[in-house]
Amino acid sequence: MKRIAVITTIYRYLSHAQHFTDRFLVGYPKEGRWHHPNMKVVSLYVDQKPEGDQSSDRAREFGFSVYPTIAEALRCSEGKLAVDAVLLIGEHGDYPQNELNQILYPRYEFFKECVKVFGEDGRAVPIFNDKHLSYSFEKAKKMVDDAYRLSFGLLAGSSLPVTWRLPDIELSLECDIEDALMVGVGGSDPMDYHALEAMQCMVERRKGGETGVAAVQLIDGERVWQAGEDGRWSTELLEAALSRSDTPCGLTEKDGRTQDMIRNGELQKLVQNPSAYFIEYNDGFKATLLMLNGAIKDYCFAAKLQGESVPVSTQFFLTPTPNVTYSACLIAKIEELFETGAAPYPAERTLLVSGALESCLISRHQGSKRIETPHLNVTYQAPTKSQHARC
Amino acid sequence: MQSRPKIAAIATIYHKYSHAQHIVDRFLEGYGWNSRHHYPPMDLVSLYVEQVKDNDLSKDRLERFPTMKGYPTIAETLTLGGDNLAVDGVLLIGEHGDYPSNEKGQRLYPRYEHFMQMIEVFERSRRGVPVFIDKHLSWNWEWAREMYDISQNMDFAFMAGSSLPVTWRTPSIDMPLDVPVSEAVCVGYGGVDSYDFHALETLQCMVERREGGESGVKWLQAYRGDAFWKAHQAELWSHELFESALCRSHTLTPSRQGFNNPFPTLDEMKEIVKNPIAYHYEHQDGLKSTMILMSGLVQDFNFAAYVGTENKVLSTQMYLPMPPARTTLANFFSPLVNNIEQMFLTGKATYPVERTLLTTGLVAAGVDSLYTDGSKQDTPHLDITYQPTEESTFWRT
Repeated sequence: MKRIAVITTIYRYLSHAQHFTDRFLVGYPKEGRWHHPNMKVVSLYVDQKPEGDQSSDRAREFGFSVYPTIAEALRCSEGKLAVDAVLLIGEHGDYPQNELNQILYPRYEFFKECVKVFGEDGRAVPIFNDKHLSYSFEKAKKMVDDAYRLSFGLLAGSSLPVTWRLPDIELSLECDIEDALMVGVGGSDPMDYHALEAMQCMVERRKGGETGVAAVQLIDGERVWQAGEDGRWSTELLEAALSRSDTPCGLTEKDGRTQDMIRNGELQKLVQNPSAYFIEYNDGFKATLLMLNGAIKDYCFAAKLQGESVPVSTQFFLTPTPNVTYSACLIAKIEELFETGAAPYPAERTLLVSGALESCLISRHQGSKRIETPHLNVTYQAPTKSQHARC
Repeated sequence: MQSRPKIAAIATIYHKYSHAQHIVDRFLEGYGWNSRHHYPPMDLVSLYVEQVKDNDLSKDRLERFPTMKGYPTIAETLTLGGDNLAVDGVLLIGEHGDYPSNEKGQRLYPRYEHFMQMIEVFERSRRGVPVFIDKHLSWNWEWAREMYDISQNMDFAFMAGSSLPVTWRTPSIDMPLDVPVSEAVCVGYGGVDSYDFHALETLQCMVERREGGESGVKWLQAYRGDAFWKAHQAELWSHELFESALCRSHTLTPSRQGFNNPFPTLDEMKEIVKNPIAYHYEHQDGLKSTMILMSGLVQDFNFAAYVGTENKVLSTQMYLPMPPARTTLANFFSPLVNNIEQMFLTGKATYPVERTLLTTGLVAAGVDSLYTDGSKQDTPHLDITYQPTEESTFWRT
């Protein structure tokens, strides 16, 4: 039975650490069964213990130890690495923000502690890193490099790429995508990250595979609508993405009606401060994320494929709280990493999205200017097999 | 038929989140469908609303859509004020509104009465047009059977039922066609003579695809409260299927504080579900189906069955994007309206109304069983046989 160390920022109800780790402790729904991973959480490091901390209760009930340092959690008082995998969850908790409004979660620092133990003890084990690798591309790059240098499996990212899709579509590998657009909601930088990764897991399947990002630009406010009129993003794709939304606001909330939000003019009224994230790839492909707070509450994607008159579109289904079963979809992938040692999809996806988001935020910070991103020359191939929940 | 069919809507009430609002609004305002905001290629020209109260929206809709006219009677709604039938399709939405209940707890929605007023116009005009009836045909089995027989005799396209058979599924799978099915379970939520119908339609749209098609139902027995738990412990229905259905839920009530998604023990389920209900029934070909309502434990509809010669478990959730807690739109009405549109355009029902005739009879039998302390109800009248559509009709695109 594989032995798991959990390294986290906080452990309280509905934190990522709670619902991720608990699934290893009490099982989770998988393919129509209640699945209990054949693995045991043996140690935990928790950086902060705010009110509502559950770490000691869980340790007592499920028979694992809470250690004061990451190195000790990995070595379990045995003097050398004593676990087979690491679940690293640097999300939630009280951490400072930088001038780009990024919360400085210590994922890189936690990861480096693990890598230090791997180096000293002469053995490396798979790591799952929740969400983006780091707020900083430079740090994120070092993390991926470490995984290659020490040859351990590294998986990272959001639940959105692996959750249910409504409808259940996948772009065929090597497809000809002409244009892509994602709509999302929520704050920056947590939710724009999820939306960008959802978009990336679709567009990485284009012909030639992922070539990296050449330039980005993030604009806000009225300029977003102007950019649409100027053809920088496609109204047809916005209509396609919105056709998948179950959560239009405004008149729908008032009396339940369906809405043609683009043609009835409500969209512009409802979105107080829209944002557009323009991503230009090295192969010339362009994709756009629109954050539309106030208009909808879900995450939808649309793409124009060459030779197809109707765009493809889908909703990334964020299943309801508190079950958040979308995280069960991600746990299944983490389990696969821990079981086989190999990541079911490349960490380069998350690396690229981490870097693209950071550069977008720099663009905003510099007056929304377009920024060239030669450092984001991250190339990779999408997994052949679909990775999202579909059975 | 003209290029744009004229449609009449007959509704009990029209307020926010009433079925009339969900359905009629989609004809008027359009709805998101397959990457477009889709406008049905037909005109909703007339509306009858039986109850107009403070929360009414029909006045607003009539004002904003002047091509739709309100009429004071069902007959005039269908004749557009003239002598003869003047529309090409009818929506009959008898759900919600202030109607009495009978001693068995059934809400006496006037679907039969509205239908018969419509039939009077059809007969007078010597023709019928396609009709959609929302939910079950009637609370009264004999009336439902009469409605069905009339539609057969007059030979107009007739569709009815719930959104559950046509909504999204997670996973997006259908029952394979023409394979053996030995047992099926649906675990849902809600009350008797309301959501039981949705759960029965969930079951039926799947099991009707089994080897030989639908054979009808021999008997039904309902269980409630302690009797339910005794029947459960006696494994009257498969625990494996019951648990598989629960494992498709996105809304399992956490049985332990501080945990967001544990699987409940039997004792915890008993604590959480105060009034469990099951309708357990046998089809003519021996298939056993069980409709289970676990209010308090789940807020979604989940299906599981033993399929094929090796009795493999097939399970899925029929997903309802349900406002107001989780969404703002009840978008499971979109595939329902899309199917209705196809019927209005082609003059052919996209799936058999016999399904809903059968589930209507099953609801009535379930209500009768519960009313008589869980007595077994023989159902020779439910010898309803039919074949499923070859193509899947649930929302996949």
